Amino acid sequence: MVFETSPTPGAGSVNDEAQGTQPPLPVKMVIAGGFGVGKTTTVGAISEIEPLTTEASITSVAAGVDDLSHTPEKMTTTVAMDFGCVTLDPTLKLYLFGTPGQERFGFMWDDLVDGALGGLVIVDTRRLDDCYAAVDYFEHRQIPFAVAVNAFDGKVEHDLNDVRWALDVADHVPLTVFDARERGSVRDALLVVLEHALATAERR
Amino acid sequence: MTAGEPPAADDVVWGPEPPAPLVRPFLLTAGRIAGGDSLVPPIPIETQVIATDVGLATLDAFAFDQHRDIIMICRQPQSLAEIAAKLRMHLNVIRVLADDLRSDGQLALYVPQNGSARDTSVLRRVIDGLRDIPDSRGRVRER
Repeated sequence: MVFETSPTPGAGSVNDEAQGTQPPLPVKMVIAGGFGVGKTTTVGAISEIEPLTTEASITSVAAGVDDLSHTPEKMTTTVAMDFGCVTLDPTLKLYLFGTPGQERFGFMWDDLVDGALGGLVIVDTRRLDDCYAAVDYFEHRQIPFAVAVNAFDGKVEHDLNDVRWALDVADHVPLTVFDARERGSVRDALLVVLEHALATAERR
Repeated sequence: MTAGEPPAADDVVWGPEPPAPLVRPFLLTAGRIAGGDSLVPPIPIETQVIATDVGLATLDAFAFDQHRDIIMICRQPQSLAEIAAKLRMHLNVIRVLADDLRSDGQLALYVPQNGSARDTSVLRRVIDGLRDIPDSRGRVRER
């Protein structure tokens, strides 16, 4: 077997013939949303492995401070992050990272999100405000994202236009309904994000 | 020096927390940290890591089990995130250790290409690959 002894960072494997030791090109997407909204369920529905959990550091910004002159307090927090993966072909592996969700904190996930193809913001229409932080984050970082309403038990309690209005997301942001437990539904929601990302990349 | 060695029952004060490893992460990394406020850009979490022949040949020479554990699971390509999860170590500790092992020629790191997130050919490959994934009833997406 031949191993790369000093691979150059950035030398991906796209054009190399896989020889068993050549790793796939890793790509990632981020699954965001409030606590308990179904992020890990979403990852688990399509991942080829049981979702794994790792500890990562993120910068948290205390939010919900009404006095705008108050400097938000930043601190580095260790959080548990769930993720899974899908081998799309021997040269391409998609990782799905669930952002750690907590209310009342704005999180800076740059470390996790840098280089992501896009984000899926999962929404529970009963607790819409839980996902504001995620929507704001992706908008601010200019990462292509879609909003997906998790239809618990196949029911959506609000009209999608009402959801768009309540979340105040731009018209170009795709909004979809999906079932976090169903592999085909998760696949289609991810495709909504990727097709939006592709359209965005083609315009550049 | 087994990380998973359970402490004596008297030491269990915090309930379901796993026992602290006997070797503290800061000892392994000699106090260095990755990510967070570090000035060095952190290695992407999806970076693929593979043990080299040199790494596999020197398996018995490592002073710390953690180094050997990393080499062992990297006989198959793994992401940094998977290594951290499987070895139950903090991602930023794995970043430092993996980079050390890379410097010593014992691991190969394949950092994802810059800009692949906005590369339309990469996006199209991911889209095509995902469409081929059947739903739970075995149906793939129409192209």
